Parts: sequence; C-alpha cells; structure tokens
Amino acid sequence: MVNETVAEGLFYLTAAAYVAASVLFLRFLVRGKGDVGVLGPRLIGVGAALHAVHIVVASLVLHVCPVEGIHFPVSVASMSMAIAYVLARRRLKIEVAGAFIAPLALTSLLASRFVGSAEPSARTKSAILPFHVTTNLFGVALFTLAFSAATLYLIQERLLKKKRIDGVFRRLPPLDVLDRAEHRFLLAGFPLLTIGIITGTLWARRVEMGSSSEVLRSVFGYVTWLVIAAVLFLRAAAGWRGRRAAYGTIAGFGFAVVVLMFYLLRAPSPGTVTASRDAPSAAGLSLAAAAPPAPSSAVELAGAKPRRPEMQP
Amino acid sequence: MTLPVVVIGLSHKTAPVEVRERFASGSEVLPEVLARITARAEIDEAMFLSTCNRVEIIGLPKLASSHEESARLASHAIRETLRDHIGAHSIEELREYLYERTGEDAVRHVFRVAASLDSMVLGEPQILGQVKDAYDAAVAAGALRSNLSRCVSRAFSVAKRVRTETQLGAGTVSISSVAVDLAKRIFGDLGDRTVLLVGAGEMAEAAAKSLGQQARSIRICNRSFERAANLASHFNATAAPIEQLESELVMSDVVVASTASKNFVITRDLVKRVMKQRKGRTLFFVDIAVPRNVDPAIHEHIDNAYVYDVDDLESEVAENMRSRQAEVAQAERIVEAELALWLQWARGLNVNPTIVALRAKTRGVLVAELERSLGTRLKHLGEAERAALAQMIESATNKLLHAPTTRLKQAAGASDGNDLVRAAQHLFDLPAAPAPEPTSANVSPKKPAPESEERLPH
Repeated sequence: MVNETVAEGLFYLTAAAYVAASVLFLRFLVRGKGDVGVLGPRLIGVGAALHAVHIVVASLVLHVCPVEGIHFPVSVASMSMAIAYVLARRRLKIEVAGAFIAPLALTSLLASRFVGSAEPSARTKSAILPFHVTTNLFGVALFTLAFSAATLYLIQERLLKKKRIDGVFRRLPPLDVLDRAEHRFLLAGFPLLTIGIITGTLWARRVEMGSSSEVLRSVFGYVTWLVIAAVLFLRAAAGWRGRRAAYGTIAGFGFAVVVLMFYLLRAPSPGTVTASRDAPSAAGLSLAAAAPPAPSSAVELAGAKPRRPEMQP
Repeated sequence: MTLPVVVIGLSHKTAPVEVRERFASGSEVLPEVLARITARAEIDEAMFLSTCNRVEIIGLPKLASSHEESARLASHAIRETLRDHIGAHSIEELREYLYERTGEDAVRHVFRVAASLDSMVLGEPQILGQVKDAYDAAVAAGALRSNLSRCVSRAFSVAKRVRTETQLGAGTVSISSVAVDLAKRIFGDLGDRTVLLVGAGEMAEAAAKSLGQQARSIRICNRSFERAANLASHFNATAAPIEQLESELVMSDVVVASTASKNFVITRDLVKRVMKQRKGRTLFFVDIAVPRNVDPAIHEHIDNAYVYDVDDLESEVAENMRSRQAEVAQAERIVEAELALWLQWARGLNVNPTIVALRAKTRGVLVAELERSLGTRLKHLGEAERAALAQMIESATNKLLHAPTTRLKQAAGASDGNDLVRAAQHLFDLPAAPAPEPTSANVSPKKPAPESEERLPH
C-alpha cells in the first residue's frame, strides 16, 4: 500500500515537473520571457529522473517488467525521449526543442495512465520479445525527438522564407542546427528500428496473424522503416535536406504513430493467436510484428492502482 | 527661412530597395549629375549623395523674389534632375517615395545624415565617409563654393561631435555586421562554415572585419582579382576570380554580395546548378548591394537557399536601435545645438549687408567731409597730418558703429532680428537687405568657404 502511494506520488511529481517545464518553454516561445537555456532542460531532466523512479517503483509494485503491457512501454518511451533530449540538447544546441519535448512527455505520461493496462498473466520464455520491445521503445523516443526537430525546422524555414525574422524566429534554435539534430536523431533511431523490425519479424513467425489490424500494423511497421530508410538514403545520395527531409521525417514518425495507435486501440481477439498464452502483451508495441493481444490483468500501471475489468482494451 | 537649402531624395525609410536601386549610382556618375544640376539656372550650389540606402540632392537656390520662391524653383529643378538621372518620363510617378526638406529642416536633415542618425544602422561609420566623398566630388566639380559648402562642413563637425561625445558609434555596427549576425541565426555557429564575399569594396571589407575569426574560412571573389587578393591578404582569406564564382558558391555557406554591378551577379539558374552540386546544403545570401546583386527569385523558388537584401535586415537593425535610444537622444541634442549655432550664423547673413551699408555710409560721409575740408581750409596740412586725420576718421567710424554693429549681430540670432535690421535701414536710409550673396563672406568663387568657421574634419 505504501509503495502504491509512493508510485502515485512519483507520478504526480513527474507530471508537475513536465508541466513546469512546458509552461516555462511556452512562456519563452510566446512572450520571449524567461531563461530556458538552463532551467527548462533541468526541469525536464528532473521530470525524466522522477519518471524513471516512478516506472521502477510501479513495476516493482505490480511485479511487471516495464517493457510489458501497454501503458508501461508508452511511459518508458516518453521517459527515454526526455532522457535523450537532456543528454543531446547541449551537444546539438537544441535547448529550445524542450518546448516540444516537455508537453510530449507530459502527454505520454498522462496517456499511459488511461490507455491500456496489462499485467501479463503469463511470462514468455523468449528473450527476443523484451529485446524487441526495448529497441522499439528507444527507437520511438529518438524518432519523437527527430519529429520535434523536423517540426521546429519547418516553422523556422517558413519564417525565414517569409522573412519574419523577429519574435519566434529569434527564440527557436538556428535552422541548420535543427536540420542536423533531426538527422542525428534519425541516424540514432534507425538501427534500433531495424533491430525492432528484424526481431519483430522473427517473433511474428512464431505467432499466427489474426485480425486485419494486426496485418495492417505489420505493414505500417515495414512502411515506417522504408520511409525512414528513404529519408536517410536520399539525404546522403541526392541531397534531400532541409524541408524535404523534415517532411520525410514527419511522415516516418506519422507511420510509427499509426502502428502505435493500432496497438493501443486494438480489440482483444481471444483465440486468434496460438502463442498468446506464452506471449506478453508488450510484443504488441512492435512496429512490425503482429503481437498477441494483451492479457487482461487489471492494474492501472501509471498510478499503480488496480483497474476495473470493464476498462480493459 | 534663413537659408533656403533644399534637400530632395529617397532613403530606406521612404522607398524599397527595388526603387532605390533605380536611383543609386557609382562615383563615376557623380560629375555628370553634378554638372546637370549646376547647369540649372535656379541652383547656385549643389551636392549629390548616393549610398546603399540613400540618394539625394542638396541644393542652394539662386536668389529669387523671396526665399520661399527660390526654394520652390530649386525644388522643381532638383526633381527634374532626378527624373533625368533615372531616365524616367515623369518624376511624379515616384512622388510617394521622395522626401523634401527646405530651410532649417533641410540643414537639420544634412546634419542628421552625416551623424548617422538617419541611417538604417544607427551610428554606422560608413555614412560620414560617403558624405565626405560626395562633398569632395561636388567641390571638385565646382558645385560647392560658399554657404552650402559651409553647411556640409558644419555637418562634418556635428558628426565628429556625435561620435566623440556619445556612444552611438560604439561597438562594431554596420550593415555587414548585422548581416553576419543574421547568418549566425541560421547556422548557429559560423566556426565550421565558409563565407564568400562577392565584391571587394568597403562593404566587403566591413563584412570581413565583422566575421573576424568567426568563420572557418573567408573567400573573396571579385571582378578585379588583384583587388580581391589585396583584401584577402588583410584578412587571411582566399581570393578567386569572378570566373570561378560557381565553384566558390558550391563550397560556401554564407555569401555576402556587395559589388557595384547594375545587374544580378548571382542568378537563379546559377544557384540551381550550385544547389545540385551542394546536395541541398543550406546556402544563405546577404545582398547588401544597391542595385542588388542576387536575384530575389532564388529565395522564392529554390529550396534551402535564402536571399536577404538590405531592406530585409531592418528587423535586425531595429534591435540595434532599441538598445541605442539613450545615445540617440543625446546625439539629437547635439544636432539641435549645432543647428541653433548654424541658424544664428545664417541669420547673420541677413544682417551683414545692412552692417556693411551702414559702415560704408558713415565712413563715406566722414571721408567726404574730410576731403572737402582738406581741399579748402586744411589745404596747408602735410602728408603726416593728412594720414593722422584719415586714421582718426577710421577710428571714429569704428567707435561710432561698434555698438550698433554688435547689437545688430546679436539680434541676428534672435527671432525678431529682422525688425532691428529693418529699423536700421529705415533710420539711416539704407537699401533693403538683399538675400545673402552666395559669394560673400570672404569666399573666393571657386573655393569652399569655411575659413571663418571652425576647422573642417578633413
């Protein structure tokens, strides 16, 4: 009980840190007030640290591996994104990208409380699946950062083409810095995505594809990989930089989000997956592999509270 | 109106760059324009100033029935000269872009321009040099000889005071430095970027200075390779002939263009080819030349290529202005103080003829009486006595006229000075004071006049 309270408290503290960072960054962007160079990233860093502790405590309370279930992986992905931002922001000079990261981390944290809930009733003996989910989670985190940089790039690029170089233009990171950051995040995320695709494909061979949404999820997973690969290849070979690369990155991230949505909003399909008894639900986060439906253990992971059975996905 | 000085022109405040570039001209055109304006019967003295952000003619009219009428005729003449300068059918189509100042306002304008208070980048040092060049050209062409010459010379003194007594010019501020600041906003750090200067004139030099050690490398491309090499040697840069412009663009990230070319040096087709070879790497052009050197269509139609001209730098400049408001206020006070001194002097021009006439009349009467006496009753006086009497007449004239002369000169600075002048004319039956003779005040016709003024700064 005490541990549940601690997990709950950590959840709210994490949310508070992300809210504070979001307010600070948005205030800076809209009004040009405040110093986000130091305080903003620190708040996100504090949020990420609290987030990590929350995940550890909540997973210990529930006796669930953080890469299992639905909302835990969502939470882990947003935490990874915040940590990656804190580590990379100084080297890539993208402190102001926190204006994107903080609200995204907050949204993911809150979403993890309300979407899905799963304490696997059975543990897999396979080593592939946790590895598969973990690489995909980190990949998604890095693609979210690439998406943030790409979006900021498009805003900056538009302002520069419109010659509106006062106000917001001055507050956002320089154009080329954003282009470089977007490329680096894509480069870092792509091997993880590739591993996720390979392991997902290997896993998919062990299970039986059930619904059309699972097939679509797999298709979109491969499309995501192809789009990101194309963005990286065209950038190196044909000079697709700047706006084109930003659009490609956003498209790739969009496909990844579609896969995620397929997983989060999937309907349980008992009896369609032969390996479901042995497979943990976290496999469903795979961008490529068709994963079995989540088991229906009723625990609200975000707040470490049991959930009512009727709220299961 | 004291002196009916007339200024007509256009600047970054009144006209966009596409209009200004129609008027802008190099130093080679100055004599032609000056000859055209001084050939006008309405104009006595004139100066033609052409910079990146400003083209204007400053004129002093010849005497007409009144100062106002003189100014009106001069305004017409200047407008026609500007019309001929750009080869237009009518200057009226450009009326909305032109400003006109007369009398006191015109002199204030000249002072403010020289002091860089009317510049796009407040306090930038180049404008004073440009005004001096225009002054020298006008003097050489015989277009500046007397009172207008004094006015411009006075403007140099004002500019000098503003620079020494305020911090307006503190820090490296120029269009070039603002351009470099903008490049940094796009690239973040120029430490791993190559900057190409197209042109090797003053602006390119200022850009090179602003860049200092910030860029990884500076390359200079100019029509005259010798000049490019000369500039490059001062800034540890690499020079290249203009024929290599395409390959230079391929290896550069920021391009500062400042040539005197009347046509686009960097065209859309050229940049299209360059961007293919660059594999889409961002290329940022800052076109600080007027007329422009870089085709603005590049900005519209080519991805990852951006073109900013001088007008586009205004918002950057606005930042610069905000931090200098206190200095601007102090500089404006100096301008007003100097303007008051100038006006006092200029009003003296109205008094001088009356003083001269009064003195001539007094001395004439005394000398005439003396000569009559020397021809009759004092016929016996020798040379020494006659010389003593002549000296006595001079002294008497001086002593007698000392008080009225001083009072009239003092009154010249006051607003009711003309009343006293008219009273003196009436009391002593002197001729009405004419408009100031342009060649008066001890000035030889072909030389600028400022020996009785303070020393010129050059």
